[in-house]
Amino acid sequence: MNSYPPELLAQLAPVMFVAGLDVPPSPPPAKGNDFGLLTHRLREALQAQRKVAIWQPEKAKTFQIIIVDKEVRFPPRKLVAPDDPQYSAAHSPLSPLTPTSPLYPDGLIAPIWIRKHTTLVPSVFVLFLRIFEFPPHNAHSPLDPPDTHREREKEQEERRRDTELAAEVALRKKSTNERGIKLTVVLMASRKMLDDPTLDARLTYIRRQSGLDSRAALFVLSPVSPGELGEFVKSLQQALYEPALEYYTAHSKRVRRKRNRHSQAVSYPNPPPGMPNIARPLRPEGWTVRYEYKMACFAEFRGEDEVALKHYQDAHSMLVVMFGSTAILPPRTKRWAEAKVLADCINVKIAKLYLYNNEHALALSHHNTHVRIFSDFSRGWGIGEETFEYWSWIARQNRIFAELLDQGTRSTLKIPIHKPAPATTSNAAYVQNLNNPRGSGAAGATEVDSLRLLGINPSHALQHPGFYYYMAAKCTEMRRERFLAALEMEQSQKLVVSSPGFANEKKVDHLTIILELYTKAYELFKKYTPQSPSQSRLTLWIAYRIAQTYYDSGKFDMAIRFFERIAKTYRREKWGSMLRPLLATWYACARELGDVDLSVKLLIEMLGHDVGETEDPTSVEEDLLAILKSTVPSSDDVLVVDLTESQPIFDSNVVFWASEVKVGEPAAFQFSVAAPANIPMSSLPFSSLTLYFSHSDYPLVVRHQDAEEAYPSPLLQRVDLGHITSSEFSQEITADLRWPLGGCIVFSGTMASDVPITLKVSKVLLTITEGTWKVDVPFNPCGFRRGLPPTSRWLSSLDPPRYIPVKREESSSVNVIHRPHSLAVSLSHCSPAYLNEDYPITIDITNMDDRDLDVVVDVLLPPTEIDDAVNTIVLGDETSSNFIKGVFFGSLAPGVSVVKTLHLTNTGAAGDRVVDISIQSRTLGSAADPENFELHDTTETLRTVVVSTVEPLKVTQTIVYRQGLGEWPGLADLRTFDGDFWDHNQAGEAVVNTRIECVGPFALEVESIRLERQEHERAKILECSADDITDDLPSEYHAGDELAHVCLVALGSSEDSDEEAIASPGEYLISWRRIGSNGELGPLSTSVISLPPLKPPVEGLLALLSVPPAAVLHVPISLTLTIRNYHPSRSANITVQLELDASDGFVVAGLRSGRIPILLPGTEEKLTWRLIPIECGQVRLPRIKVTDRRPDGAEQRPDAEAKGNSVKIVDVRLDQAQPPDGVDALQGAPHSEQEMLGTVLVLP
Amino acid sequence: MAPNLRINAVAFISPQNHPILIRTFAKQDEHSIKYHYIAHTSLDVIEERVSAGGKATECYLGLLYAMEDVAVYGYITPLKVKIVLALALSDSVVKDVEVTMIFKALHMAYYSAISNPFLKLDAPTESAHDYSPYLLVGSPKWKNFRQRVDEIGRVVGNTPNPASTT
Repeated sequence: MNSYPPELLAQLAPVMFVAGLDVPPSPPPAKGNDFGLLTHRLREALQAQRKVAIWQPEKAKTFQIIIVDKEVRFPPRKLVAPDDPQYSAAHSPLSPLTPTSPLYPDGLIAPIWIRKHTTLVPSVFVLFLRIFEFPPHNAHSPLDPPDTHREREKEQEERRRDTELAAEVALRKKSTNERGIKLTVVLMASRKMLDDPTLDARLTYIRRQSGLDSRAALFVLSPVSPGELGEFVKSLQQALYEPALEYYTAHSKRVRRKRNRHSQAVSYPNPPPGMPNIARPLRPEGWTVRYEYKMACFAEFRGEDEVALKHYQDAHSMLVVMFGSTAILPPRTKRWAEAKVLADCINVKIAKLYLYNNEHALALSHHNTHVRIFSDFSRGWGIGEETFEYWSWIARQNRIFAELLDQGTRSTLKIPIHKPAPATTSNAAYVQNLNNPRGSGAAGATEVDSLRLLGINPSHALQHPGFYYYMAAKCTEMRRERFLAALEMEQSQKLVVSSPGFANEKKVDHLTIILELYTKAYELFKKYTPQSPSQSRLTLWIAYRIAQTYYDSGKFDMAIRFFERIAKTYRREKWGSMLRPLLATWYACARELGDVDLSVKLLIEMLGHDVGETEDPTSVEEDLLAILKSTVPSSDDVLVVDLTESQPIFDSNVVFWASEVKVGEPAAFQFSVAAPANIPMSSLPFSSLTLYFSHSDYPLVVRHQDAEEAYPSPLLQRVDLGHITSSEFSQEITADLRWPLGGCIVFSGTMASDVPITLKVSKVLLTITEGTWKVDVPFNPCGFRRGLPPTSRWLSSLDPPRYIPVKREESSSVNVIHRPHSLAVSLSHCSPAYLNEDYPITIDITNMDDRDLDVVVDVLLPPTEIDDAVNTIVLGDETSSNFIKGVFFGSLAPGVSVVKTLHLTNTGAAGDRVVDISIQSRTLGSAADPENFELHDTTETLRTVVVSTVEPLKVTQTIVYRQGLGEWPGLADLRTFDGDFWDHNQAGEAVVNTRIECVGPFALEVESIRLERQEHERAKILECSADDITDDLPSEYHAGDELAHVCLVALGSSEDSDEEAIASPGEYLISWRRIGSNGELGPLSTSVISLPPLKPPVEGLLALLSVPPAAVLHVPISLTLTIRNYHPSRSANITVQLELDASDGFVVAGLRSGRIPILLPGTEEKLTWRLIPIECGQVRLPRIKVTDRRPDGAEQRPDAEAKGNSVKIVDVRLDQAQPPDGVDALQGAPHSEQEMLGTVLVLP
Repeated sequence: MAPNLRINAVAFISPQNHPILIRTFAKQDEHSIKYHYIAHTSLDVIEERVSAGGKATECYLGLLYAMEDVAVYGYITPLKVKIVLALALSDSVVKDVEVTMIFKALHMAYYSAISNPFLKLDAPTESAHDYSPYLLVGSPKWKNFRQRVDEIGRVVGNTPNPASTT
């Protein structure tokens, strides 16, 4: 921006002159001096209001305040005095019409005009004055009478002083009135004075006398705190802002009038042709520019940005018109140069005003248009793109724009992010636009919107200032280029170009400018990219340009520092095409500095990059050879050029044939080194290739030996490395280490390891030896140029060359593993297993290997999901329910086998059991190093056995319940209170029938069946069929054989636990052995069969009918009915009826119908009838009805009283109650009772 | 009215930020390196846009920046292959729809080129990080891809702008 007059660029603001604040330049006044302090603070506050700057978009009604002398004079409006008769015809001293003006006769606008309005003429004038204060009378007491004399004296003095003051103000008022400048007087008075009642009158007097306006023209200020002072300054500016605007509006009006007048005046004298150097007056276009520019400036003073923008644009377009005609503005004249500066400055102003309003696109659009128009003009003026002037100008435009943005972004300007609009909306808008091409005029606004949605004009997309600095630097580079070309032309053709521009250009230090611009761009790029280390590519690119510039300016050491940093990233990103030119320049720097080591390093690295199409591919090789031959290294050390980070010179790869080999077995590998097809390096003096292996500390060295034949090295060579042992000395072989263009050397060999390990080539080192030079070039054994992953292939035939692709992920390494042990493992068992059986599984391990092996076996019994299954395994001495670890089977010599039996016992339910057996074998002596498990030569053989388990015996049990037939003890029977009293007549008996069936596939030999009785308070096993026949049991059972046992259980009554089942009162223990298929007996096993839990039916009232099963005709028999009340608490009211039918085969003697005494709980009543059979055969018993008249407590039905509940009659001969599994068993009512009763067989 | 889009260069960059193919349509040979730099520096802006956009990032990233005489546009495929398009800078609105169309065509060209099974001929099978075909597709050995890209460049340069014909 320094290249333009600052007046033409700065943001304008209303100007305020402040006078009367003169202070001595001495340090700030002491405390006591109130007014001195006030003046000082006022000066500070006023001067801090606004700073002159280019970017200042705020409109806070602030003035550009200039502190002036009280006696300041404004510049004369016209050169002649106002009373001169020529005054009306005269013009301003700056007018082109005034001969003494710098603009005479055809200048447009000079910066001095702006300066006049910013520094010499204010819009408001503020005059600070002290009002006179009569010194206070000291001995003034309120009691004193008013000192009339003194009062009068004071009044007179005040009046005199006020008149003087008013005269001074009036004088100033006169000068400001001439200019239309608002004058405001601020009277400084002490705080006491403010309370003086006479003050108002005095102020009115002063204002009238001095002719001040009535509004905002007279203020009184007393010494106040800085905060209040700030308020005062603010309110002062606000009060005076409007007069200031009026002042500039008046100027605008005046200028507009003049412009209108001018545009009507058409006639203009044309200069006589052929006399171009004679000054011509300003053309109408020039006047228009002048007036528009002035109006723009006044609008800017007023803060009316839009108006200013409009006028600036008009001025700019008129300027363009003027430039368009060489007649109006002859090129390369002083006025032309001035106009160009003016146009550029107006362009900056327009762009700035747009940017204030965040109209980035319009700002850029104007800027670009400006640049384009003037570029076109430049061609016409002979300073087109081929001249340094052109590029200098373009650079300046970019730079000033960058500076403007830079300033802007520091305050309010935000750089937009050009993200695309969401696809849906933009598509919709696009479609809408297609459907409505060139739609109605009303759609104009929406069209603009939709266009914005559709996309952006990239050249109107505002970017951060770094980009424009970068462009400026780029253009300056072009400028330098053109300048150098011109210089060369001058020197070669001995043409002395006498242009003053060229002479000036010679003084310019282009490179410094370029560096400065690039550095600025670099800083801005750094500022605008996120602080992430990976995202530094843009800044690196600028840094590269900086380094190039350093190189151009001969600062090679600086350039090298940049190159080092940049190359690091470029190498990492594997972007060789960018690295190559960088290396070339870097190498040039190193050569200039005479750093031979660095040169060699860079040249070797450059070998790894493809050359550009224009370069000579042999140059690198030649340069390298030349350096190696002609120089000596800087030190005696070996120069190491580490290429592991950068692009390799050769396409190299290591391929192993197999993915894994056994210990001691040779692993075949090939190491191929292929030279690129476009970079010659056949003459590079490689002296050796050193291969380092992961398993050996000693490398293999391949020394160069010139081929015996004279003809060049073949394209494809195979070098046999032989077997590489991990011996303790380096091996050496010789080979021809010269690579022709695209040549490839394949080193093939084998290696082996005695321990399990991963074998690979860990490092490769090429050594170049020439004279005293010895350069080591380490590189990755597997790496391709261009960052491609290596392709693995195996050279199978040299002539013709044939390859076998090796398709394996880790083809460049091989795993060495132990030879697996050869063990024969057989597991034998006879499935299925029986439950509760000791089931043997035989493990037979035979060493089929040729080594002695230690064998250890682990057995795992995983938990099953079968209910209640508790399984145990027994192996040797160890017993476990889940895992047996480390059972040593002994050291097996080759061919020796060992057999052990694993015992499995399964309980619970039937189902499959799984046993995992792990057999670990270890060679003898390999456990010497317990630390390193990797090296243990162990092999694990895993076997899984699934044992299906079935039950050996199938058991079905049935239970029937009977009532006890014995007589119940009486209620008051004392025996019943004994602790061990047992009477099962009350609770009845249960008969348990157990049927045992042999179901399994194998026969069983049952040794014994025993009933184990268990103590139970409510059940007692009275007798069992198993008790009698223990000894001579038929012992062998085959599938389908059955055996039944009956057992009678007496039940005890209980008062409290009616509903609970009686737990199993005993269990059968069956001891058996499995009879194998070949007749041998298995181990003795025992099955336990529990008796089922008993749950006798619960009865309330029951009538037991007892009658002999057979009778003889006409011989009487007794029929007894025992009515029992089982209910624990309810007594019963029982009636009994015996109904004799005519068809009955009996004659009955006894009760026909009657009521028995109330039956108390737990008592019984016996009724007996005598029956005489009168028919033969199965004779039905007479019908007996037993009714309980007492109703249930719960069912209070009226008819229940009458009818009663009938009581179940049970014939004791048929008493076989099933366990209570339903309602029927409990009540038994629905059946005809008669059917439930038996018959009597009557014999004649 | 609006002049046709002119493609100066196209760059395909692998997910690992290695150049796959950089094709220059401008005549001058000396400038081809310039587009390498442009492609490389675009990665900065692409990464910034992608990380700012989070998961909702669309493929089309819009104008990345304009520098010297080119406007640089970016596109990222779902598999993170970046496509950078350098259009000649002209003073006219570039419609996002058209740029997206070019990008989609380029993406399809790339897609059909890497579908070539022979690209994987030399590559180790079942490789976990199998990015070799992405780089190989641009190597001089395979012509198909660059022919397609050249074709797109030619078509874009020749056909009139569909929106401006109306």
